Amino acid sequence: MRDGGWEHLVFPGGGEMVQRMRDYPWEESALGDPRDWPSSLRTACRICLTSRFPMIVWWGPELRFLYNDAYMPLLGDKHPALGLPGREVWSEIWNTIGPMLDSVLSTGEATWSEDLLLPMRRHAYWEETYWTYSYSPLHDETGTVCGVFTAVTDSTEQVVGRRRLAALQDLGAQAGRGREVAEVCDLAVRTLSRAGQVVPYAAIYLRDPDGGFAGGGAALAASSTADPVPDWPVGQVLSTGQPLTLTDVTQRFGPLPSGDWPDPPAEAMVLPLRGDGGGDPVGVIVLAATAGRALDAAYQDFLGLVARQTAALVNGAIAYQAQLHRAEELAELDHAKTTFFSNISHEFRTPLTLIMGPVEELRQRLGPADGAARAELDVIHRNGLRLGKLVNSLLDFSRIEAGRMRADYEPVDLSAFTAELASVFRSAIERAGLAYQVDCPALSSPVDVDREMWEKIVLNLLSNALKFTIEGAVTVTLSEKDGQALLRVADTGAGIPRAELPRLFDRFYRVQNVRARSNEGSGIGLALVRELVGLHHGTISVESTEREGTAFTVRLPFSHPAGTETAPDAEPGDSSSVLAAADPYVQEAMRWLPPDDGAADVAAAVGVSEPEQARTAGAPGAPHVLLADDNADMREYLQRLLLPGYRVTTVTDGLAALDAARSRRPDLVISDVMMPGLDGLGLVAALRADPRTADVPVLLLSARAGQEAAIEGLDAGADDYLVKPFSAAELLARVRTSVQLSRMRSQHARWRAALIESLHEAFYLCGPDGTVLEINSAFADMLGYGAVGLPYPAPHPWWPDQQSDPEGYRMAQDAYRDIGERPGGSFTVPFTHRDGHRVWVAGIFNEVNDQDNGRLVVGTLRDITAEHYAIQRDSALAALGHILAGAASMADTLRDTLGELHRLWHARRVVAAIWTDEASPSVTASGRDVSWPTLPEQMRGALAGLRDQPPLIPEVASGGAGVRLEHPSGTLTIWIDLTGGRVLTAEDQTLLSLVCGRLGQALHRAHQIDEQRETALALQRAILGPPQLPIGFSARYEPATRPLEVGGDWHDIMALPDGRIAIVVGDCVGHDLGAATVMGQLRSACRALLLQDARPGPMLAAMDRFAASVPGAEFTTVFCAILDPATGQLTYSAAGHPPGIVAYPDGGTHLLESARSFPLATVPQIERGEARWTLPPRSTLLLYTDGLVERRDRCLTDGIAEAGAAVVAGGEDSLEDLATQLMRRLTPPGGYGDDVAIVLYRHPAPLDLSFPAGTGQLRPVRARLRGWLDGCGLSTLLAQDALVAAGEAVANAIEHGHRDLPGSQIRLQATVTANLLRITVADTGHWLAPGSERIPYRGKGIPLMRALMDNVSIDAGQAGTTVTMDVRIASDNPA
Amino acid sequence: MTTPLELSTRHDGNGTTVVTAAGEIDMSNAARFRDALSQAGADGTDITVDLTKVNYLDSAGLTALLPYAPRIRIIATPVLAPVLAVSGLDPVTTVVP
Repeated sequence: MRDGGWEHLVFPGGGEMVQRMRDYPWEESALGDPRDWPSSLRTACRICLTSRFPMIVWWGPELRFLYNDAYMPLLGDKHPALGLPGREVWSEIWNTIGPMLDSVLSTGEATWSEDLLLPMRRHAYWEETYWTYSYSPLHDETGTVCGVFTAVTDSTEQVVGRRRLAALQDLGAQAGRGREVAEVCDLAVRTLSRAGQVVPYAAIYLRDPDGGFAGGGAALAASSTADPVPDWPVGQVLSTGQPLTLTDVTQRFGPLPSGDWPDPPAEAMVLPLRGDGGGDPVGVIVLAATAGRALDAAYQDFLGLVARQTAALVNGAIAYQAQLHRAEELAELDHAKTTFFSNISHEFRTPLTLIMGPVEELRQRLGPADGAARAELDVIHRNGLRLGKLVNSLLDFSRIEAGRMRADYEPVDLSAFTAELASVFRSAIERAGLAYQVDCPALSSPVDVDREMWEKIVLNLLSNALKFTIEGAVTVTLSEKDGQALLRVADTGAGIPRAELPRLFDRFYRVQNVRARSNEGSGIGLALVRELVGLHHGTISVESTEREGTAFTVRLPFSHPAGTETAPDAEPGDSSSVLAAADPYVQEAMRWLPPDDGAADVAAAVGVSEPEQARTAGAPGAPHVLLADDNADMREYLQRLLLPGYRVTTVTDGLAALDAARSRRPDLVISDVMMPGLDGLGLVAALRADPRTADVPVLLLSARAGQEAAIEGLDAGADDYLVKPFSAAELLARVRTSVQLSRMRSQHARWRAALIESLHEAFYLCGPDGTVLEINSAFADMLGYGAVGLPYPAPHPWWPDQQSDPEGYRMAQDAYRDIGERPGGSFTVPFTHRDGHRVWVAGIFNEVNDQDNGRLVVGTLRDITAEHYAIQRDSALAALGHILAGAASMADTLRDTLGELHRLWHARRVVAAIWTDEASPSVTASGRDVSWPTLPEQMRGALAGLRDQPPLIPEVASGGAGVRLEHPSGTLTIWIDLTGGRVLTAEDQTLLSLVCGRLGQALHRAHQIDEQRETALALQRAILGPPQLPIGFSARYEPATRPLEVGGDWHDIMALPDGRIAIVVGDCVGHDLGAATVMGQLRSACRALLLQDARPGPMLAAMDRFAASVPGAEFTTVFCAILDPATGQLTYSAAGHPPGIVAYPDGGTHLLESARSFPLATVPQIERGEARWTLPPRSTLLLYTDGLVERRDRCLTDGIAEAGAAVVAGGEDSLEDLATQLMRRLTPPGGYGDDVAIVLYRHPAPLDLSFPAGTGQLRPVRARLRGWLDGCGLSTLLAQDALVAAGEAVANAIEHGHRDLPGSQIRLQATVTANLLRITVADTGHWLAPGSERIPYRGKGIPLMRALMDNVSIDAGQAGTTVTMDVRIASDNPA
Repeated sequence: MTTPLELSTRHDGNGTTVVTAAGEIDMSNAARFRDALSQAGADGTDITVDLTKVNYLDSAGLTALLPYAPRIRIIATPVLAPVLAVSGLDPVTTVVP
């Protein structure tokens, strides 16, 4: 110092600014010779230069500028600015800070500014910066304020960070608010518009599904300006999936909105919006960066997060739309089914009656004599039956749909069989003037098919070809390819428009406006063909060109799949059965063709018109029947039936019938219900109203099967009612009865029968023992058990199975008991239909006491299956909604949903597997936890197989059902393991599909919440600062439990310029985002204050004043300690904070509970005291926040005692291990409920020396080690032993380890715990084994080390040799 | 730079050579210690080595002492006692406080 001159006194230390100040020509400046400076300026200057915190001294009337090294980066391009007037240095912000500085000069009162916006131009652009600083007055000797002292924090990162976090949170909060993609995009952009300070401009482009947009396959979905910029490179980003950064935005697009900043954005990013599961981008988002901030890595990361959040929102909406679409499809399907069933009866019953009735009648009349006629009748009869079978096949169709149809496979010579089927169409096709080519070469082996089904496949395709081909040819080819049989039926017909092709195989779908031979058709043929092919595990495809023709190709495997049965010893098909099967198709086709002279039978079938007058035939003495029907066939047929025994008058409508009846009263009127003019019911009413005809019996005929029609008829006064189809015998019997016995029969009895039959609801009559004695047809329809099986004793066959459904069985039993014991009542139970499906019924019953039979019960049942499932579905969805709304993590969401599915279907268990890139999936199950290897092989197979299913389409198999859906981390498959052979019905499957759709959305939402929390944690940890700790310290920080909670706790360890270490642990109120931002400010303030004055008491007193000005900072607790690591002396003060704990090596503890006072800003203007405590050697210091020790159910002192005991117990562990153990050991069940911060220090801190290999280092290193050992509180002898042993290891390292590499580094480390001393010496060389010839005397070193220390290990590796020596410190050693 | 070590040799009247060392003995200066012992023992007389002013002695120093074990007497403080005992020199060592 003496030779350094006065400059070293005024400008102490080193560094750039010190050098600049020493070299500065002060004499020529306004400030003058530093030797003449007032002592306050010189002191301020010294503080400034020796501080590592950014500081400025402004001096003199011009406020000339002095600053330190730490301040240099804050100046940017303005450095160097030493000695310049303040106004020149900070001209652009002088309008803000000038008046503040003037106020300090004039009033002498300090100012405090926090997060103040100062727009600066220090890097050649206008930059948005925020500052926290205080102006304090500096006085000269006379007490006049002559300058200002400033400590500055650049808080730009924190302010901007908070805004970005808020923008992300706002964006995240939009999840689930919009349903349509466009709506969501608009929502995202509007949300971003609210954050104009960080995202001044945003626009979203979505991939155009048709790819027809000039902008590269994307269309603008939303923009934050009304007039969007058209030329963003969205196409490039969409195709590469890589984000682009643009730096010439203003030049390219002119000024964009600038947010709150005066300049328009110069930079922007175009980022991809990635699809779900990392798929192709669904669109891009354009985000401009505010001109006030450079688009640096942090800004780019933030914009990346905005893009991810936006992508998540868009993907959520896409998933929702897909789900919505699926639900609509299901509804449409249901509707089609209803239409189908309502059409069946009307379409088929009338023609069936007309065929079967006459045939039966003819067969009986002919007798065995007329052989030829009888044979013809047999043909007609067979075809009638065939037609009946067609009706059945339509019903089969619904069975296929419900999965109840099974193919009866038999090996068939498909070539011969197909050729035979094709041949029956030859005459019809040739008569239509078409060429017909059949090419069916023999196949290599028989094909397993169901003969009946194959007939239907071939005949339907041929009939179709003929119907739509007006000229040209029909070709049938059978071939074999790739192990499959190929049937191709091609025509040169009308063709099918391209747009119609996707729906061609849909049920009831008919291609419109196509030239065809007939407009007939139900739209069921091709749908049935596809289903039948599917049952054979084959495929059907179609190629078609409009006006050129259509070709259908069926592919079948040769063998049926394993597990299905083949009929043994199947007989080769016989021609007659083929002809019988084909007949209906051919006959139908013939009717499309023009009449041919040689086909009189066909022409007759088309119908012959008749005059419309009343005609009478038959014997004059016979009973007279008046017949009214508008259908000529029906009239003719009925007349033929009746003529042998009756005189018949036929009329074509109700009015004619009324006229005829009035002119001559008939013995019986037979009338169709539906007729033009006056219908059947009107006729009855008219007849009844007229006294002349009031008592004429009337028999109504109708094709309408509904029971209400019968009631209407009987109500109107008809005596009997007959539904088509009816047999001739039945009609004749009714007629006979009506005519002969009408007056003898009790109208009452017929009323009862008709009423029961006509009930909508199922009716039953039970005997005294519960046996069902009588039922109506509605009962048979509902449960599949008809009147033929009567009586049905209890337990009834429709009860649920006791084994597989004990719950349902019990319900049926309870209802049965009620019926047996109570006079009347109602019940709701599940029954099992004869075909196995479940029917939920609501029943009402009443007892009837019959004189002959004793107690009887009559009751009705109503099918409430649909309602039941709707309620079940609604309640399941409601329960699920509740679960999903509350679930915060993906794991919870999935587990809870599985539990709900388990309850819903009383499953054995429900297992879900998530398939990612890992070898085996992660598994979740309802009930007990399971792992993939422990699952049964069969279930693993099912879960794996489901991955190939289309999403959300349930797959039903024996023993359960499964479904696949998208999971944010991959594919999710769910298997429901059902008990006792239960099968999911169509309703169950719809429900499963719905539930899984919701689950998918909820998983997506939970995934977003997880991501948001990660984001928030990352930002908060950025606020917490770098985890670099001085040697000898360990720290842990744990924010409170999920979801999305960030903390108000902090810890800070800071090396002070004088070699001491400041330790701060604090706890703001709350653990939310607000608390975290308050925490960031307090932490910075503590740092700044400690750098200025490293005394805990005054620091906390200053913090009281600071905290009072920060909203939310009051009641913050702080523990501050200053540690001298050389002596272990602590100076500390606590503001309402729990006491620090010192754990001694002998097991005792001491609490640092002196110098305690209130939390910050609780009481105005209090003195804050300080206390001292010296850490003894090998003791451990623990500072912590109350989250570590505070539990709801016990007092704080117990918690502190527990923490103390844990530190004592870990006295032998390394400090890092101790920190980990401590956090684990004190974790309450269910995790920490509050933030936790801890700091650990063990005295003395470890010694860590590195020095070059050379004998000259021996003594200085020994001196350092001796000094450190002195601080460890060891006995003199133990210290000496350790010194010698370490000396030997160092000597070995110098001598042997580095004989080839002189000057290499050697590292000596020493640590001490409560009772163990460890010294490690590491070099980069290789030792010789002890006793080596070359250097004999050094061989003594290793035995000496072993003799002096408890444990010595020498690890000689490639990288060098490390000696580790341990010695235990006896407990009686003075500590 | 070697570790400082002061060595002096004198003969007492009884035919014993006394070597007195003061400082620390380690690898860097053990050669000088060995030389001093070698000169003192050249004539085959008994040697007394006074180590009471030595506060550090490692294997290099011990190796210098061992060849003279049959005719040596060592005086040392308790601090060096463990090291000397490990080398088997305790029978010829007198420990003084």
